[in-house]
Formats: sequence, structure tokens, C-alpha cells
Amino acid sequence: MVVTPQFKNDLLGTIPSLRAFAVSLTQNSDKADDLVQETLVKAWDKHESFQMGTNLKAWLFTILRNEFYSQMRKRGREIQDSEGIMTERLAVHPSQHGMLDLEDFRAALEQLPEDQREAIILIGASGFSYEEAAEICNCAVGTIKSRVSRARNRLQEILKISGEADYGPDSISAQVMGSNAA
Amino acid sequence: MARQGEISQMTKKATGAVGAKPRRNGNDPLGANSEIGRKLKQYYDELVSDEVPDRFAELLSQLEKAEPTQKKA
Repeated sequence: MVVTPQFKNDLLGTIPSLRAFAVSLTQNSDKADDLVQETLVKAWDKHESFQMGTNLKAWLFTILRNEFYSQMRKRGREIQDSEGIMTERLAVHPSQHGMLDLEDFRAALEQLPEDQREAIILIGASGFSYEEAAEICNCAVGTIKSRVSRARNRLQEILKISGEADYGPDSISAQVMGSNAA
Repeated sequence: MARQGEISQMTKKATGAVGAKPRRNGNDPLGANSEIGRKLKQYYDELVSDEVPDRFAELLSQLEKAEPTQKKA
């Protein structure tokens, strides 16, 4: 079966999401783009195993993720810490105003272990359900849930914020306002 | 059109043919009420809106020209 123009267009349409997920995994935009390229080539080669009408994005994310981990195994993890990550990584500190800066957040995210980072990205940003994320990561739904929860706790720890959804704003605003009462 | 046996759990849910669960908003720990949830989306949306380099469209065009499939190792 030949690849349809529809399939090609759909692939094109998912590239922004693939790149975002790839950057989240690799922490490096050059490596991310290489990863996306490999993913597209693989997807093209095995397009027959994709069923039209099912979730192409989830299928591609699965390919991309498998490719990422297989590259990491080959290279022995050097993939993560390369090229300028460390400088940003050291720069995490709580914001004075309680307004979480995006750079701080990015740096905090980079400190998470891959499995937690990918879980929280898939669930909290990419819009997948826990079941879909579990399938993409080839693990149990409960595992995804616990990774997301650990990731969230860890981020809150690093960023020195509390989960206001859980604990109410009082404890945080006390800290925050203390330094910035107006 | 759907051959149940072959469809994975994931794709079954993804088609939307099976009842959708509106559970995203309620007590979602990463929902709009959480600072982490908001930042996560902001971080990701920024990445998604990044301009896509031409290389990908070119790659797909090359793959298209190379059809019918030539397998590479």
C-alpha cells in the first residue's frame, strides 16, 4: 500500500507537537529535530501498521519515544546533559513575587528524571489521557499516575511553591506577600 | 470498518467512538487551578508554536518521491 497524501498531510500536521515532545525529552532543540526526523522516516516506513482513523499523534509519540530511548541506550545517556543545559539548570530559585517564571519552570523540568518528565508532559501538556500515556510509555496506568504525581511534587519542591489547588492559597500567599507586601 | 481484535486499547479510546470521559477538568491535579499545570501548558504551547523548519516538509516530499517503498536497513 502506498502512502496516501492524507497520511502525509496528517504527518505534517503533527510535527509541531512531535517537536515539542522531542524537546521535552531531549532538552535540546537540535537533537529534538533529529529525533523528529527519525520518527517521520520510521512512521513512513511502517505506515501500513497505522490504522486510519485512530490516533495518529499517539502512534507517532510512541515511535518518537521508542527512538529516543533506543538512542539513549546506544549513546549511554550522554544525550541528556550536553550543550548548555547545566548553566540553566543551576539557575533555579524561587521568584520573589511568587510569579513563576517560565525559565525557572523550564530549568526545574529539566531536573526531573525522564520517566517523570515525559509522564507529566503527556498528561499535563500534550493532552493525552492516562490510558493513552500508559500505552505510549508501555507501562501501567497506575505507573503513569504515580510518575505524574511524583513529578508534580518534585516540581513544587524545586520551585518552592505549594499546590494551591490542594492546600489553599494561604500558606503560599503568606510567604509571598511577606517579601512583597504592597 | 473497525476490526476490534486488531485495535489496541489506546486507539479504541482515541477514535472517540467509545464514550468519552469528561474527567479532565474536575479534580485534575494539573488543571487550570494549579500553578504547575498552567506553567506546564505555557512551556509546551511555546514549543508547539515554534516555527517548523522546512527540512521536515522537504523530508516528507523526498520520502514521497522515493515511493514505492524501498526498504533501507
